[in-house]
Amino acid sequence: MKLQRFSRIAAGLAVTALALTACGSDNNTTSSASKSSTSPQADSACATGTLNGEGSSAQKNAIEEAISGFTGQCSAATVNYNPTGSGTGVKQFNGGQVDFAGSDSALKADKGEVAAAKTRCQNNDAWNLPMVVGPIAIAYNVAGLDKLVLTPAVAAGIFTGDIKTWSDPKIAALNSGAKLPTAAIKVFFRSDESGTTENFTKYLKGASGGVWTAAPAKAWSGTGEGKAKSDGVSQGVKSTPNSVTYVEWSYAKDNQLGIAQVDNGGGPVELTGESVGKAVVAAKADGVGNDLRLKLDYTTKEAGAYPVLLVTYEIVCSKGLDATKTKLLKSFLTYFSATDTQKGLETIGYAPLPDAVRTKVDAAIKAIS
Amino acid sequence: MATATSTTLAPISDSRKLRNHVATFAMYACFVIAMIPLVWIIWTLVAKGAGLLGDPHWWTNSQRGITSRIQGGGAYHAIIGTLLMALVTALIAVPLGVGTAIYLVEYGRGRIARAVSFMVDVLTGVPSIVAALFIYALWIGTFGLHRVGFAVSLALVLLMIPVIVRSTEEMLRLVPRDLREAAFALGVPRWKTIMSIVLPTAFSGIVTGIMLGLARVMGETAPLLILGPYAKAINTNLFSGNMAALPTMINQDRVEALKPAVDRVWSAALTLILLVMVLSLLGRLVSRLGSVKTSR
Repeated sequence: MKLQRFSRIAAGLAVTALALTACGSDNNTTSSASKSSTSPQADSACATGTLNGEGSSAQKNAIEEAISGFTGQCSAATVNYNPTGSGTGVKQFNGGQVDFAGSDSALKADKGEVAAAKTRCQNNDAWNLPMVVGPIAIAYNVAGLDKLVLTPAVAAGIFTGDIKTWSDPKIAALNSGAKLPTAAIKVFFRSDESGTTENFTKYLKGASGGVWTAAPAKAWSGTGEGKAKSDGVSQGVKSTPNSVTYVEWSYAKDNQLGIAQVDNGGGPVELTGESVGKAVVAAKADGVGNDLRLKLDYTTKEAGAYPVLLVTYEIVCSKGLDATKTKLLKSFLTYFSATDTQKGLETIGYAPLPDAVRTKVDAAIKAIS
Repeated sequence: MATATSTTLAPISDSRKLRNHVATFAMYACFVIAMIPLVWIIWTLVAKGAGLLGDPHWWTNSQRGITSRIQGGGAYHAIIGTLLMALVTALIAVPLGVGTAIYLVEYGRGRIARAVSFMVDVLTGVPSIVAALFIYALWIGTFGLHRVGFAVSLALVLLMIPVIVRSTEEMLRLVPRDLREAAFALGVPRWKTIMSIVLPTAFSGIVTGIMLGLARVMGETAPLLILGPYAKAINTNLFSGNMAALPTMINQDRVEALKPAVDRVWSAALTLILLVMVLSLLGRLVSRLGSVKTSR
């Protein structure tokens, strides 16, 4: 009878647990309504179901914003995104565990990713759709220095450790009239492996004319002190005078750091949504048809184009998902790439996709079947 | 003679007094040092995390549609995920664990019992990440299934079984031999002796062991990271879709710099501790209600 009593208690607990499952609410509209005021678009008609994505953490804030807005107007749709990193995202996508992947770099053929993605999509091509443009800021903390201009060669010099003080003649030559301290330059870098590091070193390698020699990689090969994550490096710069780092624009903004202007040869360019957009337009299409992988031109001398940036792709199957998921995927991506959504991303430190690229992305989304 | 010596006992020497004081002080110091991290953790969590717990939405709403820039939403999705996974884990692990312990104590003799006992010891030493990867290889690699809540439960079962086996075994061994022999003497069959004499006697100890096991698996993070991707919306289906849990909720917002997300991390951590505490209190209650009256 003791056991009977136990089983009664256990049954009671189980019933309570089951009853609890019925009383939660997914409806957070009251708190998020103020944020997601984008009007519903005709072409992103609401689909239903659940969509799972995984990958790049560089686009996390952007896609969360889009998910928030999208699910705010489509109450029957759920989109999950786990920012576990580009490599993991691609792996999970190719393993069939998620419906789309977010990645800082397009699928790589030499690593077998393209072939694996094709198998995963039941012998249909996977497409790389550029969706989020994340500028990388060269953020500094020098008292009294409101404006700092750097060329790629000088930036590379700072980050390799060749240029050691702020008053170095190379920096002074670019910033005539600025009050540069004689203090040593303190460089912070990302101690974890990061797409930001990879893209920043790609830029230095591509544009510095040989000053940066190390091969671009997710791990940092320059000088300085390591800090974990974007949060760590931006906090480091904020709390250390005369320091400098490279970090996503949003973090530089959130922490109110100084942001260097970059002079690629066409004059100093300030980091704005517009100037980044110009650089993205200058990028060349590297894929075939609707596979929209971009080849960024880091050496662009176009006036007013800010060239230090990374593009995150959504990697999707062109065909091969089941019908419900496909519908939801198209509906969500259409919302994500819409002008209003992209425009809204600028306030949180991303640059909107320029229209020239956006129309291509839109066409590709329409072509998913 | 004896009384005489006791009355004329020499006063305790100073060195002994000193040693006594030093030892007493050392004991108290150890106690305080051991308590510092515990109190510190609880204090920090309450100070930083209590704010959101007062909002009823924390207990009834999910994080759907909430970004790290927006305040609001709740932890309901994660609480329910953690509870469901723990419940299913317990439903599988408790019968298996208690059954194994009964076998080891009541029936097990010779080589097989030694092998089982050894295996349980080995299982105790398996790190959670290894258990998670084993289930990953089995569930996703071999069967080709998706990452779902039930797979997490399976990995947690591996971690919970040895805890339950060991504690239940100890409790069963504490049941006096006399009780069993008395039952046998009255002609009660062995299975009936176990069911109605041994288990009820050890009941409260077994429940405590189960609760310890549950508390351990509820805070376990490695299987969740590998097998249970986070979701911001409520999902109560263990066999389909991403499912949130409190540890993954903490992990998700951990890297955030913005205040709304950071606040939620502290609150989720406090919620997890509260949840485990409530469960162990419930366990105490159950074991008190269900235990054999000890008064004779």
